[in-house]
Amino acid sequence: MDVLVEDLVLERGGRRVLEVERVAFPDGSKTAIFGPNGSGKTSLLRCIAGLESPGRGQVLIGNGRVRRGDARVAIAFQEPVFVKGTVGDNLALGLVLRGKPAQARRERVHRLAEECGVASLLDRSASELSAGEAQRTSLARALALAAPVTLLDEPLSGFDRIGRTRMLEEIPALLSRHAATALVVTHDREEAFRLADRIVILVGGRVTAIGATGEIYRAPPDPETAALLGYSVIRQGDGSIAVPPGALRIGRGEPGFEFRVNREIDMGNHRHVTGTIGETSTGIRLAAEERPPSPGSTIRVFPARWVAFPGS
Amino acid sequence: MGDLASGLGEAFSRLAAGDAEVYGIAARTLIISLAATGLSLLIGCPVGLALARGRFPGRTLLLSMVHTGMGMPPVVVGLFIWLLMTRSGPLGGLGIIYSPTAMVIAQFLIATPLVIGFTAASIQSLPPLLPDLLASLGAGPLQSLRLLLREARLGILAAVMAGFGAVVSEVGAAMTVGGNLRGSTRVLTTAIVTATGRGELSQAAAFGIILLALAFAVTLVLTLLQQRRAG
Repeated sequence: MDVLVEDLVLERGGRRVLEVERVAFPDGSKTAIFGPNGSGKTSLLRCIAGLESPGRGQVLIGNGRVRRGDARVAIAFQEPVFVKGTVGDNLALGLVLRGKPAQARRERVHRLAEECGVASLLDRSASELSAGEAQRTSLARALALAAPVTLLDEPLSGFDRIGRTRMLEEIPALLSRHAATALVVTHDREEAFRLADRIVILVGGRVTAIGATGEIYRAPPDPETAALLGYSVIRQGDGSIAVPPGALRIGRGEPGFEFRVNREIDMGNHRHVTGTIGETSTGIRLAAEERPPSPGSTIRVFPARWVAFPGS
Repeated sequence: MGDLASGLGEAFSRLAAGDAEVYGIAARTLIISLAATGLSLLIGCPVGLALARGRFPGRTLLLSMVHTGMGMPPVVVGLFIWLLMTRSGPLGGLGIIYSPTAMVIAQFLIATPLVIGFTAASIQSLPPLLPDLLASLGAGPLQSLRLLLREARLGILAAVMAGFGAVVSEVGAAMTVGGNLRGSTRVLTTAIVTATGRGELSQAAAFGIILLALAFAVTLVLTLLQQRRAG
């Protein structure tokens, strides 16, 4: 089902936290809502879920305006919340409230528990779950509803590195099986790119970029968005040059920069040299066997790829 | 010590003998206290929920008033009810002063702030996102109310215990609005005062022991219910 956010303004305590002119999430799309902390990502998700009453504007799902408790939307919160009872009780709760017959409910709960890796926890009290188990349970509960629109708020928070790596593989597969239109809030670039095929970038409550993940990454619309996507943004006169991660090389080239070496970090399979170009902190990736430059020295570097932003 | 021991003996012998007056007073005490507690739950739970979850002007002032009411001396409540319901009072026409109904009303006013306060505190201790979760899972307003109260049931059972404990043991309001009429509005607390005033200390101790046993029995049932649900 299509989701359309139109002319949305949300204020909290007299402060404008969200101001979105128009964003469309086409039926069947998987979109990451990406931005730094406090950029309004969760507020936008809550508006789409019908859990906020914006001062202006509207959220349309299909042709109808979203409302609180809208059955067309399922949401998994960043911090999983459970009612007292077992994992099984919690997975079934939404289905009970939406009037699903008992047999269909049992089958759905068992299927989602199995696919989300919580089948062995069904009889365990929800208050005894680890952070990762709680996130999996919360995900399973949202997906169990089979809603036309599924919203996930930071679904990988609470996972350790191994769990996160596994979920980065599992969530896209789960979404393709159990969710139609999906929106995933994240502040992590890798998560945004691996969980979704479209991206909406929010900065200060406003949308700064929207489009296919690869396209936005290759051609960020402005230096701020480039910096959010991990680019090192180097000022050059009125304008700036944005260099993507891992694109700086030691040597002379055009454009070229003076790189002041701060320190070298042995990452095991490669070396990472941190330093600054002008006021921009950045880094160079070296092969493990390459000799690193000395800390405190200044070397010439050039970008293998870059995006130029001319000044006004 | 002798009065207490003889009181214990008298309590057992009166109960064993099936003393109609003692059973009548105990039953009246239980009925009036349970009715007042039940009514206070009916009003106090939704009001406590609204005060805990609602955001409206004057909410903090209302909560402060409720908290003050939690420590209101029963005799003051009794006095206000008496002034309202006495024959020359604004509600004197109802003709319920010195009746069990007047006692239920007074005790309801004593228990309600306790129920509201305990309910609000237990609802406020729930995860703030719980109402949003319930709404997103498809719960309507009434289902959300029921589920939130279920989640806060330990605190609400504590509210029931506090409310019942307060009304079953109070004497000031019961005496003022009930009048301690034998066979009509005499309850265990007022019976104790009467017996003590007459110097019948063994009988007073017997009523006291029956009152303690009654309060303990009701609280035990509620505690068992609370702890079984907690487990």
